[in-house]
Order: sequence, then structure tokens, then C-alpha cells
Amino acid sequence: MTIQRLFLLASMVFLVFPAGCAKKADNAKTLSVVMGLAEEEWKVMRENIFPEFEKQYQCRVRHFQVEAGDFSKKLEAMVRAGNVTVDVFSQDNMRLAVLVNKDLVEDLSAYESVVPAEVLPAMREVGRFNGKLFFMPYRPNVQIAYYNEKRLEEAGLEPPQTWDELLHVARVLKEKKGMGKVGFQAWGDGPTTAQLYEFIVSAGGDPLLLNDTGCGKAFAFLKTLYPYLSPDSKKAKWDTTNTYLANESFYLAQNWPFGVRIVMRDYGKKEIKTYRGWRGPVREAHVIGGEVFGIPKGAQDKTLALAFIRYFQSKEVQEKLAARLGWPSIRDDAYGNMADWLKPHYRSVKEALEHGVYRPNVPYWDEFDKLLNEAFLRIVVQQGDVGEILNAYHEEMEGIKREYSR
Amino acid sequence: MKRPLTSVAFAFTLLALAVYTLFPVYLMVKIATGDPSDIMRERPGLLLHSFTLEHFRNVLSSGYLVAPFEKSLSVAVLTALGALLLSVPAAYAISRFPKNVQYGFLLLIFVTRMFPEVGIALPVSVAFIRWNLLDTVPGLVLAHLIRVLPVTCWILLNTFETIPKDLEEAARVDGAGKLAALRHIVLPLALQGIAVAAIFSFLMSWDEFTYALYLCLSEPTLPLKVYYYMNRGNIFETATYSLIVALPVVVVTYALQKYLRSGYLAGAVKG
Amino acid sequence: MNIRDRACLYLSVAPLIAYILVFTFVPVLCGVWLGFAGKFSGAFPSWENYRYIVSHFQFRSALLNTLIITGVGLFLELVAGFFLAFLLTKKFKLKGFVRALVLLPLGIPTIVSAATMRSVFDTQGYLNEFLYRAQLIRVAVDWGDGGMKTLFAVVVSDMWKVTPLVMLILLAGLESIPGELYEAARVDGASALGTLRHITIPLLKPFIVMALVVRGIDAFRLFELPLALAGRGSPVLSTYAYFEYMDYNNPNTAAAAASILFAIILLCVVLVVKTTTRKVLGGK
Repeated sequence: MTIQRLFLLASMVFLVFPAGCAKKADNAKTLSVVMGLAEEEWKVMRENIFPEFEKQYQCRVRHFQVEAGDFSKKLEAMVRAGNVTVDVFSQDNMRLAVLVNKDLVEDLSAYESVVPAEVLPAMREVGRFNGKLFFMPYRPNVQIAYYNEKRLEEAGLEPPQTWDELLHVARVLKEKKGMGKVGFQAWGDGPTTAQLYEFIVSAGGDPLLLNDTGCGKAFAFLKTLYPYLSPDSKKAKWDTTNTYLANESFYLAQNWPFGVRIVMRDYGKKEIKTYRGWRGPVREAHVIGGEVFGIPKGAQDKTLALAFIRYFQSKEVQEKLAARLGWPSIRDDAYGNMADWLKPHYRSVKEALEHGVYRPNVPYWDEFDKLLNEAFLRIVVQQGDVGEILNAYHEEMEGIKREYSR
Repeated sequence: MKRPLTSVAFAFTLLALAVYTLFPVYLMVKIATGDPSDIMRERPGLLLHSFTLEHFRNVLSSGYLVAPFEKSLSVAVLTALGALLLSVPAAYAISRFPKNVQYGFLLLIFVTRMFPEVGIALPVSVAFIRWNLLDTVPGLVLAHLIRVLPVTCWILLNTFETIPKDLEEAARVDGAGKLAALRHIVLPLALQGIAVAAIFSFLMSWDEFTYALYLCLSEPTLPLKVYYYMNRGNIFETATYSLIVALPVVVVTYALQKYLRSGYLAGAVKG
Repeated sequence: MNIRDRACLYLSVAPLIAYILVFTFVPVLCGVWLGFAGKFSGAFPSWENYRYIVSHFQFRSALLNTLIITGVGLFLELVAGFFLAFLLTKKFKLKGFVRALVLLPLGIPTIVSAATMRSVFDTQGYLNEFLYRAQLIRVAVDWGDGGMKTLFAVVVSDMWKVTPLVMLILLAGLESIPGELYEAARVDGASALGTLRHITIPLLKPFIVMALVVRGIDAFRLFELPLALAGRGSPVLSTYAYFEYMDYNNPNTAAAAASILFAIILLCVVLVVKTTTRKVLGGK
């Protein structure tokens, strides 16, 4: 029977298939590293950071790109199956709670002494949950303001230092150009939350309450500002902001420092400069983001993983990362051999960091993130009523907090 | 086409069609080979103003081509094989059933096409987390089959239906066994349809994005890597990578376009 | 057919059916179950998730966007597909070339076309550049405004890729209409429009229904294009479900949204098939 023969063939293929897919064994020690980086950043890792470590420790670094949002799922799958193939991972500091809650990471409290003394104290605390240290810092991050010097000068404008000046710049540019030229990362999710958080704190508010005076002030200001912003703001997040700055859709916008290399080097926009940004009516605040390292529960080679973390925290690597990528350093002593063109940008970053604020690690962050974004869409984009909408979201947020505390 | 006015209008229509179809492809080439200072402007211009291979060098040296290519290729090949193994015997059998049974099977296969992929991908990814099938080739093949099987069944059913039962029976009357009848009469006649089904399932798997996005986290396929470049790279590398991913498929589709005959879709209307 | 043959036939269908049951129907049922399981209370069945998403305006706009994109997209694709198919039934010099040209987008992976369309519909993009050159606009058009223009961008991008498929289906239909019918109509002195209305369209009907159903299902499920072109500003149901799960770690509401999408597809397909078959039968 042909049909029977087909079945035979089928079973043969399904027998061969796992054998064919099995990975070849490798004799050299390998360290599997997961990070979520832009291509520019990977390039520096591949060419300037990893090879040195491989030489020092006689091993091979296998690296994988996983987006911050996907990693908890990946890790959960591996830990549940008892097949942890990742030795060390880097994760966004706002995505840590879920890993601790699901018990997916090693407790690193015993190795706290590994963290060098030069590391800024605030950075250490990001990785601490319930008194235990689960994550180790290696990269703080803060948004700086990028501006197109040439275009602003043409319009007779200076980079704004306050909210009023920001509004003025946005207005004048819109009048002169027929469309808004100031960018805001309004795409939604993390990028928008980071910007909103900064505006609210600089107005003296507590973002997690959603409806205190500061929140009201910040939302009211953004509602006024929004019509004068570039229409591309709605598509702007960290990646697209670089493109919009480069193709002159934005003359002024905040973004993370990794854009410096892309905008000024890859896209060749020398006329774009940076500064630390503007202050709000109550204070100057810049949200601190960043990444920390963690070790998955059941990882194969913890010693090598710890060595890798220590390597990243070393002065030498921190300096390289600052020099090549403009990444701020976790150490207060890493400045050496920076390329001249990067120096002014690095100064902007350092100044912004001085006004840094940390966001709290709360279990209901995802829900908060979502409500804040919805409030933004309804008040700022659709020009809704500030007080009424914020009160409604405050109530909803309180309800969610109660659900979590049960 | 005799009146000059009509033929001018006709020529103009063809030209507009050509521009509409080719422009996005042209644009990819323009960006992939364009100098940043030329592309990054408020008014980018429509013609090619510069030429550089820098972006190709960057993409080729990134080491992001081989592994995703291997993954996409092995998934697509295994999906095509799996689809044939499951649907060739099934489609043959269904075509030989009485009409009312056939209708039931058809309905079942058709309904599977209606489920939204995001709806299936979610529970599948939750289950795959448990079974440790995330990021694996077999896992993605299993998911791609969900999408591919209804289509291959459709094509193969049409193929087998066009082969008259009488032919098969005549062969058996002549003394050939059922096996021989299948091998010497049915299979040769169905071969083209089977090839089309294989090509279609390969292309569908190659192009697939939704399941891959849910199921591949650290070992991406080519479409996922394009998405990565869109989100994390610069626009030049995105265009370059896209071009590299698209080219082989365009060539394959072009070479096989005679199989994209409307006749294969025609029979489906009867169902 | 003897019993042994019949058993063989059933045995050959069995693996396929088993596969479809395990990997399609079970996940779908799981999805529906997830949608009815309360996130906090764990209660089952509960309308918690449905109440939640319906009360959030992003879901409502996702629903509306899905319906608009599908409706407008299908209409335009059918018109364009018919036009192209009609063109290809004619004999002209460059026919082979035109056919190859029309089929080209079928070979481009969807995500690649999405990447390219992003440059086309950018505010500083190439469609605007074209409009500037044609002196149609003075200030850039904001194709990403989150309203109709964004939906239009998604529809056009989708059309670019799938019109060839619609064209192939309709071409099969046009080729199946015997030439003598047109000949007879011409002898009777029927106008071009009359021929179209009384001969082409009625005979093409099953093909139109098929194109409508096959493409309609896909249009409801569009994912990559809205994800890349419209983002969160104008979600559709499938991207809404994706954001709920991937960005907000909420499989329950994601499953509820996907279930609603499925219900809509089912309803539309049943509606289209019911109304058209009755009309066809009634006409006979």
C-alpha cells in the first residue's frame, strides 16, 4: 500500500528530525549571554567588549538578542523545563519584579562584595527585592535632549530650559514651518511612560497616584503643548526618534544617549547637539533607566557568569562603553580616552544624571504603565478633560493596588 | 485597442501600474544603497542620488544572516515536508469519500482557516513555555503547520478531484493492484499539484511572522530579524536586510510563476 | 467500496484530523477558556476580562479600525483585482511582462513590505515627496495621524501585497466564462456595461464570494502591517491582543480580544455565505 509506505516515510522523517536539529557539542567553555540591544550596541559588544573577556577567561561568549518584554517568558520556559541554557542576562530595570515574583533568578546576596566600591550607591539598590540582592548594576541610563542647532538658530531660538520656553519654541517652530518640529515619544508603552514620569515628577507630582496636583499640572501642560508638537510624535519611541531627528522631522526631542552614535555618526548629522534638558515648575528631574545583570536559577556556570558581571563593572569596560557608545557609567571614576566628538554629549548625560530620579519597583507596574498611557491618549492626544479623566484612572489604579495587596 | 485615445489611456494605465508595483522595491534599493546625507533630509527626493555599499558591508559583517537563514530554511523545509505527509494521504482519501462526508471534512478544514492567529499563538506559546518548545525548530514547525495545512489540503483536494476515479478503477480492472494504480496512475497525475502544495507551504512558512513572534525569543527567523532591524537598527540596515531577505523569494516566485495558475484556485470555488 | 478500503481511507485522514484537533481546536478552546477566567479572582466563567476590555477605549477603537480596514480594504482589493483580471483577459503586446509584474508583490515577505511602506508613508517620506512634486500639497500630510489616514496607509500597503491573489481568483472566474456568451450579447447589441452587469458579474459571483471570504478572513487577521505602520495609535484587534499579552503580561484580556475577533469572523463568513447562496439559488 502506498499509504502505508507514506506512513513509514513519515515516521522516518520524524525520527531523523530531532537528530538533525541537535546542536553540535562544543569543547571550549562557553558563556551564553542574553541582552536586548540595538544593532549599533551589539556591534561594539562583538568587536570591542566580548573578545577581551574571551581571551582572559579562555571561553567563548555566545550572545542572544532578546527584547526586555520577551525575556521573562523565555526564562520561565527554561527554568520550568530544568534546561537553563542562559548563564547571565541583562534586563531593563523596570522589568525585574516579574522575574523575582516567579522565582526565576538566583539570589546574589552572597556576592554583594563583588560590586566595586566605586559604583554609585543608588545603582546598587535597583537590584534589591525584600532585602535580597538579585541583580547587579552595570549601566545607568538617562534621557538627554537633542536639538538641531542649525535649524533652531535659523528660527532665532535657543534650546529651552523651562516648560514655558519649551512651549514657546514649539509654538514658534510650528508657526514658521507650518508643522510642529518638537518631538515627544508618544508611541505608547515604556517610552511614553518614561517621558510622562519625568514631566510629572518635575511638576512635583507622584505619578503612581495619577491625580495629585503635580500630575494635573503635567497633563495640563502637555495638553497645551501637544498641538504644537511634530505629528511624528505619535510614532516616536527610542528608535524612531533617532530617525526623526536625523531627517529633520524633529528639531528638538528627548532620547536616550545611545542615539548620539546613530544620529551623529551613522546618519552624519553633525549639526545636532545635546544638552541635559529642561526643568519643570517645581524641580528638574530626569528619569533613570538602565540595565542590570542577573543569573537565571539553575545556570550552569555561576563562577564564569559572575566573572562576566565583574568584567562589565570594571573601569576598563565602563570606559570603553562610555567612549564608544556614550553610555553613562555606573562608576564615578570612568572617563578616560573618550573621543572628542563624544565629550559634550557625555557631559549632557552626566548633568542629567545629577537630577536623576528612580522609578519604584512595584508589582503592578505593567498595569500602571497601561493606565498612564491611556490617560495620556485621552487627555493629551484627544484633548479630554484633565481632572475628570485623571480621577477616573486614579480610582482604577487604587482598585488594582488593592487586588495586588490581597 | 484601435482608437489612439484608448491605447494612450491603456499605456498610461500600464505605466501607473508598473510604478505602483515597483516603487516600494525601488525604494528599498534606493535606501539600501543611499548615502545617509542624501536620504536623511526633510525632502528626500525620488531619484537615486548616491551609491554606497557601506550598508551591505555592515549587514553582512553583523553575523545576523546565517543563523536566521538556517532557521528559516529548516523550518520552511520541514513545514513543507510535514504538510505533504499529513495532507497528501488525507486529501486523496477525502476526494474518494462520498459527497456528504467530503463536505464535512471540507467544512472542518475551512473553519480552521478562520481562527485568528493571535488567538491560537497565545495558548500555544503558553503551552510551549511548559513543554520547552520555545525557540526550537520543531516548535515553530508545529505552529506553521496550523497555518499551512488548510491551504495545502485545499490545493491537493482540487488536484485529486480532477483525477477521475474511472481511470484508477480501469487500471484495477486491468489487473493492477490498488497500490500499483495509485503509483502509476494517480501519483503521476497529481505530481504537479503536490509540487504546488509544497512550494506554497514553503513560501507561507518563509513569510510567516505572527507565530514566529510569539514562539521565537532568542533565535529569530528572517522575518523576525527584519522586525528587529525596524525596531532597533537604522533605516539603512533595515532596507538592506529586507532586500537580502526578499530577493531569493522574489526570484523563486518569479521562476515558479507558471504554477501560480488561476486554475489551481478555480476548483476551490466548488467547495 | 469494501470495508478494508474504507478503513484505509479513514486511516489516511486520521493524522490530519488529529493534528487539526490538537493544534488548532484545542488552543482555540484554551483561548476561549482563558478569556473567561478571571485574572485576579480566578473565577470561571467570568465576564471580568470582557467587561474590562469593553470599558477601555483602545479596545473600542481597535474594533472600529478592524471593521473599517476590512471593509474598505476588501472593496478596494475586489475592484482593483477585477480590473487587473479584466486587463489580463485581453491580448496585448506586453501581457507576459505585465503578468509577471503584477505577481511580483506576492513574493515579497509581508514584514519586508511593511518595512518599506513605513518609508513611503512617513511624514518626511516618499509619498509626501511625490505629492510635493505633483504640487498637490504644500505642508506634509501626516499619514500616521491615528485616524482615517493611518487606516488608509494600512489598506494600501495590504492591497499592494494581496491584490494579485484576488486577481488570480477572479481571473480564473473570467476565464471560465465561455466566449460565445459575449459573442451572443454583442450580436444582440448589448452595451459594454450591460454585458458586465448581466453576464460577467452573475457568472463571476461564486468567484467573487470566494475572494471575499478568503481575503476577508485574512483582512480581519492582519497583523504585521498594522503593527509596523499604525502601532498603538491605531490598534486593530490582533495587535491589541498582542500588546495586552506581550507588553502588559495579561493573557486573559488578550484571549478575550482574540475570541471576539474570532466571533466576528465567524459571523461575517456565515452571513456572506448564507446571503449569497440564497440569492444564487433564488435566481435559478
